Amino acid sequence: MEFDTLLSARALMGLSLVFHTFFTPLGIGLPLLLFIAEGLALKTGDQRYRQLARAWTPVVGLLFAVGAVSGTVLSFELGLLWPRFMEYAGGIIGMPFSLEGFAFFTEAIFLAIYIYGWNRMSAFAHWLVTIPIVISSAISAVFVISANAWMNTPEGFRVVDGQVVDVNPWDAMFNAAWLHEAIHGTLASYVVTGFSVAAVYAWLLWRKKPAVNARLGLQLAMAVAAVSIPLQIVAGDFAARRVAELQPVKFAAMEGQYETERGAPLRIGGIPVDGETRFAIEIPKLLSYLGYRDFNAEVVGLNAVPKEDRPNELLTHLSFQVMVGAGFALLFIGGWYWWAWWRRRRAEPGWLPGRWLSWALAASGFLSFAALQAGWFVTEFGRQPWVVYGYLRTSEGVTERDGILVFFVLFTLLYVVISAALIVALLKWPHGPKQPARLPGAAGKEAEGVA
Amino acid sequence: MSPELAAAGVALAAVMLYAMFGGADFGGGIWSLLAWGPRKQEQRLALEKAIGPVWETNHVWLILLVVTLFVVFPTAYAVIFEALYVPLFIALLGIVARGAAFAFRHYGQRESRLARQSLQWFSWASVATPFTFGLVIGAVTGGHIKVDGSRVLSGPFAGWLGPFALMCGLIGLLTCAFLAAAYMVPRTEGALQEDFRRRAIAASLALGVATTVAIPVAAADADAFASHLDDARVVAAMAATALLGLAALWALWTRRARLAPPLAAATVAGVVGAWGLAQHPYLLANALTYREAAAERITVVSFLVALPIGSLILVPSLWLLYWTFSRDTLRGEEIAH
Repeated sequence: MEFDTLLSARALMGLSLVFHTFFTPLGIGLPLLLFIAEGLALKTGDQRYRQLARAWTPVVGLLFAVGAVSGTVLSFELGLLWPRFMEYAGGIIGMPFSLEGFAFFTEAIFLAIYIYGWNRMSAFAHWLVTIPIVISSAISAVFVISANAWMNTPEGFRVVDGQVVDVNPWDAMFNAAWLHEAIHGTLASYVVTGFSVAAVYAWLLWRKKPAVNARLGLQLAMAVAAVSIPLQIVAGDFAARRVAELQPVKFAAMEGQYETERGAPLRIGGIPVDGETRFAIEIPKLLSYLGYRDFNAEVVGLNAVPKEDRPNELLTHLSFQVMVGAGFALLFIGGWYWWAWWRRRRAEPGWLPGRWLSWALAASGFLSFAALQAGWFVTEFGRQPWVVYGYLRTSEGVTERDGILVFFVLFTLLYVVISAALIVALLKWPHGPKQPARLPGAAGKEAEGVA
Repeated sequence: MSPELAAAGVALAAVMLYAMFGGADFGGGIWSLLAWGPRKQEQRLALEKAIGPVWETNHVWLILLVVTLFVVFPTAYAVIFEALYVPLFIALLGIVARGAAFAFRHYGQRESRLARQSLQWFSWASVATPFTFGLVIGAVTGGHIKVDGSRVLSGPFAGWLGPFALMCGLIGLLTCAFLAAAYMVPRTEGALQEDFRRRAIAASLALGVATTVAIPVAAADADAFASHLDDARVVAAMAATALLGLAALWALWTRRARLAPPLAAATVAGVVGAWGLAQHPYLLANALTYREAAAERITVVSFLVALPIGSLILVPSLWLLYWTFSRDTLRGEEIAH
C-alpha cells in the first residue's frame, strides 16, 4: 500500500480525531459529575461531595485544555487536508460549526470561572456555574455531530451542472441523521465518563491507594454509568434502524451482509473477506428484525453496489462488533456492580467491590473508550468512499499538496509525547487525603460557604 | 453595507481580538523565555497566574476566525489553507505543544520534572507560533500567491519566506511581547511592576520601529500591500495607530499603570485595522476578493443573524470572566492549580 496524499491525509485526520475523542467525552461527562456532586453537597449538607468535586477540578482543567487544543487542530485540518471538501461543503454545513463555536466559547468561559472560582463565590453560586457548562458542552457535541450527520445524509442543497445551488443551511443542519447520531454520540460521553471515573476509583480502592472519598466517587460514577448504558443501548438500536433505512450499504458493511436477502441472519463476530463473512455465529432472521422490525424484511447486501462504491467491510464490521460487544459488556458490569451493592448494603455498610468485580470495573474504563472509538470508526469507515455521501468522494476532497506524510509523522510524535506526559501527570496525581486541605479554600472556609 | 462585507468585518474583528487577547497570551510565553534578573521566577509566576484563568478563552478568537472563514468564505478558506499549508501546519504544531505544555505546568504538580520541561516547550512554542502566524499574514497580504479560480498555482513556499513576510513575523512577535508586558503593569507591584514596565517600553519602541521599516520593505517586496498605502483611509488608520502607540508609551513612561493596557490593546487593534483596510476588497491579496470567496447569501445572512444571538450569551459571560479575574494582583490569594 502506497502512502499517497489521500492515505496520508486520511491517516492524519483519523489520528487527530482519535486523539481528540479521548478528551471530548470527558469534557462533556465530567461537568455532569461536578454538577451532581456539588448539588448533592448543597442538598444533603455532606461536604464530602464537595471535596470530591474539588479533587476532580484540576483533572477537568487539564483534560479540557488538551481537548481544546486538539479540537483547534481539527478546525485547521479541515482546510489543510480537505480544502476541496470544505470549498464544496463549508457554506452548506458551516452553520452547526459556527453555533458550535458559541457553545464551546461559553463552555470555556464558565469552566474558567468554575476552576478559578472555588474561593470567590458561595457554594450555591459555584454550583450554578456548573449548569451552563453541562448544557453548553452537550450542545456543542450535538452541533459537531450534526455536521458529521450531514456528511452521511447530505441535505439542504442541490447540484446543478456541478455547482452547489439552493443552499438551505438549516435543512442541512437538521438532516435525516442528525437526531440519532446526536443522541447516540452524546450519551456515549456519559457512558465513557461514568465507567472511566469508576475504573480509576475501583483501581485505587483495590490497590489500597489513598484517595479523597473514593467509595463515594465510585458510587457516583457508577450511578451515571448505570443510567446511561441501558439508554445508550436503546439509542444504538434506534441508530441502527435509521442507518438501515438511510445508508443500507453502510448497514450491510456493519453487519457483514453480502447478498441481498429476505429474513437475513444477525452475525455475531465473524470476518468478512472475499465476499463472505466467515466464523460468525448466525441467528436466523434477527438482522431483518433489528433493521426493519420485520423478520422477513429484505436487507440490502454489499453486492448490490459496485466494489468502488463500497466501504471497507472488514474494518466497518469489526469496529461494529467491538462497539456492540463492549457496550453489552458494560451493561453487564454495571448490573453486576449494583446487584452486588444492593445485596450487601445492609450487612456491610463499608462494602467495597471484591477482586473480580474490581477488575471488571477497572476494565470498564478501557471498554468504554473502545466502544466510543469503535463507534466513530463505524460511522467514518462506513461512509467511505464518500466524504459527502453520494455527492463527493473522499479522493475528490483531498488537498493537492504533497508531503502530508511528514506532518503525519510529526503529529504522531507530538501526540505520543503529550499522551506520555498526560499518563505521567495522572498517575502522579496527589490522590492522598491531604489534598483538599492543600488546595485553596480549606475546609473551614468552605463550611461557611461564603469564601 | 453588503452582508459579505459585514462578514469580512467579523473576520477582521476576530483577527483583532485574537491579536489583543491571544497575543498577550503568547507574549506571556515570550517573557517567560526571556525572564532575567533577580526576579526571574517571580516574573514567570506572575505571567502564569495572569494567563491561567483566561488562556482558553483567549484562543477561542482563533476558532471564531477559522469558523467565519469556512462558513462565509469557504473558497478563501480552502485556497489560503492549501497555499500556506506548511506554515499553518507549523503554527498548529506550536499551538498544540504550547497549550498542552501550559496545561501540564498549570494543573500538574509544580516541582516535577514534567512541569520544568513543560515550561521550555511552552516558551519556545510561544515564540514560534506568533512568528509563523505573522508569516502567514504577510503571505496573505504580500500578493505572491497565485491562484486560478480556486486552484492554487504557486508553490508551497510562495509568499511566506520573503522579506515582507519575515517582517510581519517579527511584528507579530513584538506585538505579543508589547501587549503582555503592558497588561502586566497594573497587575503587579513594586520592583516586579518596574520590570514589566521597562519591558513594555522597550517592546513598544521596537514595535514602532518595525512597523515603520515594514513600509519600505513592503514597497520593495509586497506590491499588493504597498499599492494601498496611498489610500486616504489607510493613511488615517496608520496615523491614528501611531498616535495611540505614542499615548501608550506616554502612559508607561509616566507610570499611569491603569491606562497602559487599554492603550496598548487599542494600538494593536489599530495595526490590525490598518492592515485590514489595506487588504480591502481582497481576502487573498490580488487573487481573491471577499465577494468571490463568499458562500451563498442565505448562509452569510444566517451567520450574521446567529452572531448577535450568540453574543447575548457570550458578552455577559466574558465580562463576568474578565471582571472576576482582572482584579487580582500578585498579593491576591493563591489561585487553584
